[in-house]
Amino acid sequence: MVQRLDLLDPAEVARLGGIEIVAEGVVEGFLAGMHRSPFRGFSVEFTEHRAYQAGDELKYLDWRILGRSDRLFVKQFEEETNLRSMVLVDASRSMAWQGSPERLTKRAYADRLAAALALILLRQRDATGLVTFDDQVRQVIPARVKAGQWTRIVRGLLDTPDGQGTAAHAALQRLTALLARRGMVVLISDLLFDRELALAALRYLRHRGHQVVVFHLMDPAEVELSGPPEVRFKDPESAVSVVVRPRELARAYAETVRREIAAWRKACRRHGIAYHHVQTDMPFGLALRLLT
Amino acid sequence: MSFLHPLALLGLAAAAIPALLHLLQRRIPPEVDFPPVRYLSAAERESARRLKLRHLLLLILRTALIVTIVLAAARPLVPLRGGGAHQPTAAVIILDNSPSSGAIVDGAAVVERLRVAARSSVARTTSADRVWLMLCDGVLRGGTREALLATIDSTRPGWLRLDLVQAIERAARMVNAQPVVGREVHVLSDLQRTAVASGQAVVPSGVRVLALAPGRGASNRGIAAVTVSEGAAVIELSGATLDNDGTPQPVPVTIRIGAGPNRGEIAARGLATPGPEGSGGATRAAVTVSLPAQSLAPGWWVGEAALEPDELRADDRRPFAWRVAPPARAMATPGAGSFVAAALAVLQAGRHIIDGRDVVISGGDLPSSPHAIVQPPDDPALVGQVNRALGSRGVPWRWGPLSTPGVLTSSERAGGGGLNGVPVARRYRIERAGSGEEGTSDVLATVNGEPWLVRSGSVVLLGSRLDTAWTALPASPGFVPFVDALVNRIVMGEAEVAAAEGAPHVEFRTRGTDTIGATVFGPDARESDLTPATAALVTAALGGKGRTSVLNADRFATEGFSGTRRADASGILLILALLLAAAELGVATRTR
Repeated sequence: MVQRLDLLDPAEVARLGGIEIVAEGVVEGFLAGMHRSPFRGFSVEFTEHRAYQAGDELKYLDWRILGRSDRLFVKQFEEETNLRSMVLVDASRSMAWQGSPERLTKRAYADRLAAALALILLRQRDATGLVTFDDQVRQVIPARVKAGQWTRIVRGLLDTPDGQGTAAHAALQRLTALLARRGMVVLISDLLFDRELALAALRYLRHRGHQVVVFHLMDPAEVELSGPPEVRFKDPESAVSVVVRPRELARAYAETVRREIAAWRKACRRHGIAYHHVQTDMPFGLALRLLT
Repeated sequence: MSFLHPLALLGLAAAAIPALLHLLQRRIPPEVDFPPVRYLSAAERESARRLKLRHLLLLILRTALIVTIVLAAARPLVPLRGGGAHQPTAAVIILDNSPSSGAIVDGAAVVERLRVAARSSVARTTSADRVWLMLCDGVLRGGTREALLATIDSTRPGWLRLDLVQAIERAARMVNAQPVVGREVHVLSDLQRTAVASGQAVVPSGVRVLALAPGRGASNRGIAAVTVSEGAAVIELSGATLDNDGTPQPVPVTIRIGAGPNRGEIAARGLATPGPEGSGGATRAAVTVSLPAQSLAPGWWVGEAALEPDELRADDRRPFAWRVAPPARAMATPGAGSFVAAALAVLQAGRHIIDGRDVVISGGDLPSSPHAIVQPPDDPALVGQVNRALGSRGVPWRWGPLSTPGVLTSSERAGGGGLNGVPVARRYRIERAGSGEEGTSDVLATVNGEPWLVRSGSVVLLGSRLDTAWTALPASPGFVPFVDALVNRIVMGEAEVAAAEGAPHVEFRTRGTDTIGATVFGPDARESDLTPATAALVTAALGGKGRTSVLNADRFATEGFSGTRRADASGILLILALLLAAAELGVATRTR
């Protein structure tokens, strides 16, 4: 029985090979399950006619209709260029964490998800690029649709080491300069940074007309607190630590996480940003489906 | 509060375990990377107060749980007022069955009421207790509870007076020496004021003295003493002899003389007149009844004086004894001195002696008469000669060198209190020579603790001459009675009639076939005073406030052994421990 890799446990899928193999396998399975392309790309396809008005350019007149019916109509098109997509992957140190050896780190999950997403977009002939960042921008691969782009993106992911702190707003600000034309921006991050600063940058992208999608990546162990009776938890980025008894604090912690997710979701919705909460045990196919 | 297993209290150190664990756990927690620390910090800030309260509550609950379990293991005993077993107790039950306990009050003998209370006290003892019973004889009787109960049941009013102050001290010392937790002295007495008048008992700390409050007092009149003098019986009375106006009342007295078929009875109704002070400073009235001295043959006679019956029968009659004897045939040698000669003349005039040589009083020589009273020689050079004569006659006493002046201290047999305190300016020390027969040698008076008047057989030696240059005795009022006693009794080896406590009867002292004295037994005169002491006086005399309680019958029954009455509280503590454990479980799980 042939299994669809997009619906398998990410950790198990990751054992099959490198990012390319995993991403291709996931995309194959994902597309096989879809009746049509999930993303409605831009093209030069005709969409409708309308009556000519004074001032319209004459090159859009439909001469065939004019010849048959002696009436003036102009042709309208949806877009003249392909979609330009940029995938932003958070490579901060907090992303290199896994709550269990049985699961992928957040970074590994993010890399595979980004590679699969890029492959889908490139197969649709959409220009796709990559930005990796931690406390500064590490890799920038401009959006292209030419052959070998996906390989460059994968190479960019592999060449980005685990960083230190996170400064998403800096990466997003730089991205605005890279995206002169409207397009789609996909942010894959654990969002462990200042929400207001990041939202300011995302709002700016949205203001520029970009479609913005946020994947809030979390390890299941970050959602449900557990551990020894008493433990000192240390933030690998800031080295801030706190001694807690997980069993005592579990309920309050879960409530805090729930509020944080809700706050992100609410803020994103207010600004027209798509927000998706993804845990690293979620099959890649389900995560990709969130975009449809 | 005390504990059956006090060593278990060492486990209280375990109460520190929760706190120690808390501290140790906090010191070495494992360190784990956890990116969303910011969420943890926020959650902890919001829960900090609740968590602190929870930790404190858990710490208290766990510590209290351990303390409670340890205390339960130590088997704590808490004092109880009501029921419950008492801890091992040493107790002395003083059942005062002195003669006064035979008084009839409210239709019953006082001793009956005391026996009931004593029985109750003994009945409440357990096999772990150490119990003694003390009656009026002052003997501490141990034994099983059944044996003591049997003794109590068979107790009747006795004839001995019980000094409660001394009895309490003895009892307190006894119980205080016992290695038990409780120490009590139960005093069941009519608490006569005369029984607690001898001072204040010293009761060790930790000894409880519980005294049954006395019942109603009763009016009583009794015979304190009977003496025969100058052919008349003097009956000293104790108790009420005056009417409400203080006027002496006629007191009917019956005198019976002799025994058996020779018994005669004299009914007299004497007027109670104020007499000499008796024991305790009370003035006794006396009734004097003339005896038919002329018709009585020489020898020892026994009589009995009796009053009309009243509430206390024990002191309503008292025997007495006296000796009817012919006057001694006595004379003095010229060397005996003028004072002796004058005294003998007075005695002869009063028909106390008649002239004869049965008894000779000499001065410096040893007469050959059957009975000799010898004064030291005026010339010290003659002392050795007389000493040799005494030695040849088998007298074990000698005159030694002149000794220090002093005052006389005499026994009853030498004239009683009449000699006491009389100054002696000059005297020879009377020394014992060799070993004489103890029974025939008596020291009758001393000066500075050294013999001054001694008797050996039929010879009496004086340390001083009966002259005012040697002693003030010849110039004192007691000189003639002293000489009378010398010639009529002392030199004859007779003893005074002595008095002793006991059932009324007379016992004679004999030497060979001769009767040389008598002892008259009867109750102590102080037993006739039935006035109870006040509670304050009893408390002060029998141990003091805080140690002694005077209780009515009901409280006496409940307070007995209550000082050590304990209940095992371990059950309650275990229940409390279960509740604490449930609370701990609830707090620990509810807040997770």
